[in-house]
Amino acid sequence: MVPGSQPEEFSVSAEILALEGDLEYGEYLASECTTCHQADGSANGIPSITGWETEPFVTALHAYKTKHRDNEVMQIIANRMSDEEIAALAAYFKTLEN
Amino acid sequence: MTINRRHFLGSSAAAAAGLAAPMVKADGHGKPRVVVVGGGAGGATAARYIAKDSKSAIDVTLIEPSRMYYTCFFSNLYLGGFKEIEDIGHSYGTLASGGVNVVHDWAIGVDRDAKTVSLAGGATIAYDKLILSPGIDFVEGAVEGWDVSSQNAMPHAYKAGSQSELLKAQLMAMPEGGTFAMVAPPNPYRCPPGPYERVSMVAHFLKNNNPTAKIIVADPKPKFSKMALFQEGWADNYEGMVDWIGSDFGGDSVSVDPNEMTVTIDGEVTNVDVCNVIPAMKAGRIAELAGVTDGSWAPVNAIDMSTKADPDVYVLGDSSQQGDMPKSGFSANSQAKVCANAVRGALTGSKVYPAKFSNTCWSLIDTDNGVKVGATYEATDEKIAKVDGFISATGESAELRKATYEESEGWYAGITADMFG
Repeated sequence: MVPGSQPEEFSVSAEILALEGDLEYGEYLASECTTCHQADGSANGIPSITGWETEPFVTALHAYKTKHRDNEVMQIIANRMSDEEIAALAAYFKTLEN
Repeated sequence: MTINRRHFLGSSAAAAAGLAAPMVKADGHGKPRVVVVGGGAGGATAARYIAKDSKSAIDVTLIEPSRMYYTCFFSNLYLGGFKEIEDIGHSYGTLASGGVNVVHDWAIGVDRDAKTVSLAGGATIAYDKLILSPGIDFVEGAVEGWDVSSQNAMPHAYKAGSQSELLKAQLMAMPEGGTFAMVAPPNPYRCPPGPYERVSMVAHFLKNNNPTAKIIVADPKPKFSKMALFQEGWADNYEGMVDWIGSDFGGDSVSVDPNEMTVTIDGEVTNVDVCNVIPAMKAGRIAELAGVTDGSWAPVNAIDMSTKADPDVYVLGDSSQQGDMPKSGFSANSQAKVCANAVRGALTGSKVYPAKFSNTCWSLIDTDNGVKVGATYEATDEKIAKVDGFISATGESAELRKATYEESEGWYAGITADMFG
């Protein structure tokens, strides 16, 4: 499997996808992400995570959390995120333009 | 007489608020003031986030002597020829445009009673909250025969910039079949894998330009960060070139003679062509002058990076003694965001979220051969404590190593954008 990709069959529950993210908390949590992922959406070796729709964003983080996606940095970062924190991040990064 | 803000609050608003915790406000001053000393991964990040997130509600002054900041991280890649010196240099123009008052001067004193910082240029700057992020200084007398006056003959190149350029020039001028020596530092020090990535980058350069040259490393430690990965990498890519002498073999008994260009390891004198001396380290001098150090480093509270000595003085990054995080640019950047959130909360009443920290250190062994080690951390009452971690494995595929190197390039672009805007 290519690092960072996830199996097609991986999905998260409708309840998790329906969680409404707290934007302000998302902005704070996002500061951990922007050490590597650029806030302006540029990508030079690390993918852009700005402007994503909620479902793929939340699904990707849950895939890292459950080790269905293959990147050790992302696995340990996602590992300690709660469902609410993932929703908050998704809500915040969705507001950033690509 | 002007109305003193504290008196005003004291007579009306605070009384009405009952037992609510008072916010820290500047006496006789419209806006609370934060002074940040040191414009690296900790200081630049803290200054930028406080200015950005407070939306001009806080005056932020950053004191940094250099107009152009060269990152210590990736300076080894410059030595190896993977980066140009310009690639690791950053100016403060965008930070200034973003509302940070950037002052290019040296902070030479802190009066914690008056809450002021004095500058070499003569100015005195008042603060409500002071954030010190001065990186490292070297312990005097740490390597017998070496002091800062010999850093031209034997560069440390552990504060990037002119020292990196000097070491690169010396490397390029080495005679055919010459000897490059490194005196590695004792724990704890900035960037644990740094000396060994440097050995790899020097070896890469020599393999291509001076393949009969040798590298000797005298190390006061019996083992080092990512040791198995580096030793595998040296054996696979630079066979017979690197002689690492750990403390078990006399590497902890070292002296140098910068005039004679000799290194003496466990009594044996060796003539060398280049000698990279990386001495033992301590907190940047201003932390000591501020009286917030205990021994070599400044003990801090994990929850917000405030010092044990003074709740209004914070220390970030290399200078702090915080617990389990390695001294790295990534760590300093991570700590800066926790600190910025806490300082903003204390000064403006904005929401303060729980501290979360993380770190990853990437190292380049050879072309497209990157490795990494990382961990997540949390604040406990005692320290910043490790939660979870990983390290690259020996014997990984070339594809994965290439992906790891590309990831490190992405990280460099990310963290420098995060620091400097």
